Amino acid sequence: MQQAIPYKSWPLPCVNASSRPASSTAVPPRTGKSNGGKDVLEIVSENAVIVFSREGCCMSHVVRRLLLALGVNPAVCEIDEKDEAGVLSELGMMSREKGKTVQFPAVFIGGRMFGGLDKVMATHISGELVPVLKDAGALWL
Amino acid sequence: MDFPSTQFVPSRAMGTYEPIHQIGMWGENFKSISNPNISASVIVDVANKLENESETTSHEMLVPSSKHDQEASKPFDKIQRRLAQNREAARKSRLRKKAYVQQLENSRLKLIQLEQELERSRQQGLYVGGGLEAGHLGISGAVNSGIAAFEMGYERWMEEQNKQICELRSALNAQISEIELRILVESGMSHYFELFRMKSSVAKADVFYVMSGKWKTSAERFFAWIGGFRPSELLKVLVPQIDPLTDQQILDVCNLKQSCQQAEDALSQGMEKLRETVSATLASGQMGQGTYVPQVAMAMEKLEALVCFVNQADHLRQETLQQMSYILTTRQAARGLLALGEYIHRLQALSNLWANHPREPA
Repeated sequence: MQQAIPYKSWPLPCVNASSRPASSTAVPPRTGKSNGGKDVLEIVSENAVIVFSREGCCMSHVVRRLLLALGVNPAVCEIDEKDEAGVLSELGMMSREKGKTVQFPAVFIGGRMFGGLDKVMATHISGELVPVLKDAGALWL
Repeated sequence: MDFPSTQFVPSRAMGTYEPIHQIGMWGENFKSISNPNISASVIVDVANKLENESETTSHEMLVPSSKHDQEASKPFDKIQRRLAQNREAARKSRLRKKAYVQQLENSRLKLIQLEQELERSRQQGLYVGGGLEAGHLGISGAVNSGIAAFEMGYERWMEEQNKQICELRSALNAQISEIELRILVESGMSHYFELFRMKSSVAKADVFYVMSGKWKTSAERFFAWIGGFRPSELLKVLVPQIDPLTDQQILDVCNLKQSCQQAEDALSQGMEKLRETVSATLASGQMGQGTYVPQVAMAMEKLEALVCFVNQADHLRQETLQQMSYILTTRQAARGLLALGEYIHRLQALSNLWANHPREPA
């Protein structure tokens, strides 16, 4: 679902393709935009599963470990403190539930905002998470 | 409720003509003093005693007016009895006053103690050399009253829990309708959700209190994982009690067990990362000069994540309970709740037995 009003997406220095092997976790190259930095929209559309989080956040570690246990290798984007507010507001705009405030960690599946750790846990327990991941092409049987 | 002045001056000075109001105020004062050691149940007891005895004495006070008119014709014994009752009432009143004053003195002492502790820790600030006791740093009125409120709430919760368990037991033995049983199951589940809300509240005041499981018995604490039960362990205990299950149910429960396990592992790994982070932050920079305020401050920021973990663990417990209620029939869910309640009772009995079991002196 694209926005009708064209806007400038938040530029991010970090990039981590989901096709990388499970052993490597996200290490954002701090080389800035000149080295092929992407913006939020691009990253979200390029990755089947992506987790936006603060640096060194333990809750995003929980999300990652859970997804890995399911056989998904999520892309991870660690946001600097200075970019936090901007990224959060853009993620909020992209969210389907327009009223809700977005928090880190924020999980996107299949190019759409899925939710936070609460949502991931709840859908995992109810068995809804795996089908969603399969639909997005993040999981193959 | 007016008492004649001659015999009840002391009581009046104490204000017993408005006993409920006074005790009510006294209760409020206690909350702001935030003394966890004076239990609110004592306050209620004294208030109840006062209420009961004031009613009996006021009833007696109404009689004298009719008595005067017929005094000459009343037997001597009745007058003697009336006087003895008055003496008794006065004696009781003096005893009540004594108990009240005693409680006031105790709480005054505790208040002075707490104020001294607070002053000490304020002066020391973060520069405490050697031997840090957990009790000195960070204890504030808000924390204490949060914990006191939780402990009172938990006592009530446990009483309600026991009531519900009894109701479930008799309902399962009797022939009650599906709808009535469903209502019992729903209230049982809501009751657990209520506990999670209480824990979330006190976690904001003192997350270490929740992590310690202090309000629980020792055997319960032995099995604790992030402030409560491990959902997958509970499933292992309870599912055999809910037999027989359909094939579909067996499959669903199996999947649920696996999902719980995965979620628990993810949370445990997150906790491990948190420990590493806090430890690394605390140990950063040179050690040995005795100055470490920035490291301690930064580590505390990282430690805030512990509140999230406690909330996530309870959220997992709640979702697991909820999912079980979808998989099971009403009757099975009722049996499950009953088994869970009894399992907790057995753990508490084990703790009790252990505490009273004679051991060889060290």
